[in-house]
Parts: sequence; C-alpha cells; structure tokens
Amino acid sequence: MPSSSQKSSASGSSSSSARAGARARLAAEQAKQQQRRRRLTWFVLPVVLVVVVVAALVVVKVSGVGDRPVVQPAATGAAADRVVTAVSSVPAAVLDQVGAGSGVTPPKRVDAPALTADGKPRVLYVGAEYCPYCAAERWAVVVAMSRFGTYSGLGQTASAAQDVFPSTPTLSFHGASYTSPTVAFTGVETESNQVAGSGYAPLDSLSAADEQLFSTYNAPPYVESGGSIPFVDVGGTYLISGASFTPQVLQGMTHEQVAAALSDPTSPVARSVDGAANVVTAAVCTTTKQLPAAVCGSAGVQAAAKTLG
Amino acid sequence: MSGVHADRADAAPAPATAEPARRRVEPSFVIALLGLVVSAYLTVEHYTSPALLACPEGATINCAKVTSSVWSSLLGVPVALLGLLFFVAMSLLVSPAGWRRRVLDPVRVLGAAAGVVMALYLVWVELFRVDALCLWCTGAHLCAVGLLASVLWRVANRERAPG
Repeated sequence: MPSSSQKSSASGSSSSSARAGARARLAAEQAKQQQRRRRLTWFVLPVVLVVVVVAALVVVKVSGVGDRPVVQPAATGAAADRVVTAVSSVPAAVLDQVGAGSGVTPPKRVDAPALTADGKPRVLYVGAEYCPYCAAERWAVVVAMSRFGTYSGLGQTASAAQDVFPSTPTLSFHGASYTSPTVAFTGVETESNQVAGSGYAPLDSLSAADEQLFSTYNAPPYVESGGSIPFVDVGGTYLISGASFTPQVLQGMTHEQVAAALSDPTSPVARSVDGAANVVTAAVCTTTKQLPAAVCGSAGVQAAAKTLG
Repeated sequence: MSGVHADRADAAPAPATAEPARRRVEPSFVIALLGLVVSAYLTVEHYTSPALLACPEGATINCAKVTSSVWSSLLGVPVALLGLLFFVAMSLLVSPAGWRRRVLDPVRVLGAAAGVVMALYLVWVELFRVDALCLWCTGAHLCAVGLLASVLWRVANRERAPG
C-alpha cells in the first residue's frame, strides 16, 4: 500500500506531466499557427497578388479601356510611275551581280499538272494586302515577271499597321493586268489592308479552278504548312508558300526608297528582293523552255537556277 | 546550427525502422527546366525565322507578331534570350544541389519574383501594345509564375524549421 506521501508524490508527478503535455500541445499549436502565418505571408499573398494583377489586365483589355484606336494604313492607290518604272526595269547588270542573293528561300519543286492559260505557262499569285510576307514577296514577283512582260494598273499600298512587320511598303495586284508573249500571270489579293470587324475587308475572289488548286497544293506534303500566303504557283512546276525572304529588310522604308535600292546591288533590299526575283525568274524559265534566252541565260538567273531543287 | 534539417546533405540517417526515404521530385526544378526548354525554343526561333514558330496565326494568337515586334528586345537584348538566361540561372538555383544551400533562399525568392514581374510586364505588352498573344511566351510566363509559387511554398515550409 502506498503511503500518503507516496500518493502525494505520484499525484504531483502526474499533474506535472499533464502540465508538460499541455505546454507541449500549446507549443505545437503555436508552431502550427506560425506555420500557417508563414505560408500566408510567403506563399498565398504573393500568388494571389500575381493572379489579381493578371486578372485585372485581362479585365481591362476585355472591357476595351486603354485600347489604342485602330490604325488604318493608307488605302491602296495607283502606284507612282517612278516606282513602277524602277521596279520593272532593274538593270540586268545589277540582277547578274546579285545572283541568288542572300537569305532567299528557293521555291519547292512540285510534280503537278501544268498550269497554263492561252497556251502559255501561267503563274498564279495569291496574297492579301494586309499580309506583310505578301508585301515583301510582291516586289520580287513584279521584278521577275517584268522581265517577261508588262504590268499595268499596279497598286501601291502597305501591309497592316497592326500586324508583324507593320506597314511594309508594297505594290498590289488588285485591279492590275499583265501581258506577255511567253507567260500568263494571275494576281489575286483576297483581302485589303483595311480593318473590317475582326478581320480585313474582302477584295478579290479566286476562280473555282484556282480555289481548287490553292486548297490542293498549298497544303502538306506540297508545302510545309497549309493555307499560308503568299502562295505562288509557277506553272505547276514550282511552289512558293510564305515569303522568300524576311520583310524586315523593307522596314521603315518608303516605296521610292525600296524602288531605288533595287538598283544598288550592295543594298540589303537588292540582295533579298533581286535575289528572290532571280530565283522566281529561274523557276519561270523552266516553264517557258528557257525563253526569252536573254533573260533565262543571264548570269543572275543561271546562278539562281542552281538553288532550285 | 544544431539539430537536423531535412534539406541538409549531412542530415542524420533515418531510423532503421523507418521506410527508406523516397527520392522526391523537386517541383520548382521541373518547372524551371520546362521554362528553360520553352525559352530555348523561342531564342532559337528568334535567331532563325520567327515566321516558323509552331503557333496558330490569327488576330488574337500570333506568335510571330509578338516575337518580331519592337517590344521583343529590351535594351537591344532579345527578350527570348533574357528568358533563357533567367531559366538557366533559376534551374541551377532550384536544382536539388542548389536547394541544399539554404543561404541562397533570398536569391531564389528574389530571382523568381523578378521573373514574374518581367512576365507581367510582357503580358501587358502583349495585351496593350502588340495586341496579340504568343502561346509559347505564355508558356514561359506560366513557368515563371509556377516557379515563384513552388519556390515560395518550399521556402515557407522550411523557414525556421526545427534546427
């Protein structure tokens, strides 16, 4: 039997242990609360702040507050005579010196039915005035096709101000015509550069046959990615899908500056545009039986022909 | 420092009866590596052809429009390259070896926070200056936010841990 002092001692030890347990539980609870506070301070608040800022940006954007007014580029007008003259008469010596140029992606060889019109091989160009890549490619196409024939009614315009490579100066095939003894040309600008609703105002329509051709050959495996513009079909022999060179070389330039630079074989514009023009010319020459010989046999075209697949 | 810290390489061995410690995947490290891959892709595309970015091209989503805009460089340095350098540095900081150096916690937090501030700035640029969103850039931005969250979570849970 335990004595009363032993009972007292046991009872004291038990209450002391209970107090220690309570202190431990209290300390654990305090530690948990501290941990919660740390998580709140270190984790929850910063993450919530980031989410709130992003949500605020999106709400402001969606509500339209702070939107800048849509900048409409100048509507397409007739190309200036001096621009058309400079583009359609780049000296042969300059084109020969440039050759295949630099940074020019050659067209892709395709085994498709011959594309012809009036018994002549036909070149089909599909683009849109808002499109910056089309803006770049048109210069090369006009320089190249001007060696086989004559354009009339070319427009002068710029790509969309809101798109990549904004307001790239260019010409337009909308309303233009082309005559040549050796090759036919069809230029289609499907949309203008004027914003209308969520897109651009429609312009030209493809004929049913060209629509069929566009949907068939502007898709893999004939090209890397389907539906891209500009799309150029050179007589069913070569395809161009996307710009042959970067529109960057034309940034900040006026039409007159681009036209003048085409005759300077050392300029980046000539290296790109004239180089691409020689490549397009070489592709066209494969459909015209290398005629006219003065064009197809020139040093620049021969050099460019080596890049064709 | 007395006691044992779970992050220390010289931590005391677990009791023999305990389950063997499983190798834990470090979320912050995974996110940093993901961001590294995305920003590396954007950097390569920046120096080759932005038009070839695997990204839908429309009025709202247009990677090339964003990555080739005048806002795609900061003080002459491509933003994509800055992102790549950021994720390289953060990958080192939040690697399993990096986490063992507790003294680097403030650097980790400040670095991750700087990444998020930059991401918020770029989101603003996309929404209000370029008027287009780049999916790959958004992926990098999400990685920056996820990286900050995972770094903060890790730091919050070990800050003033026993020992």
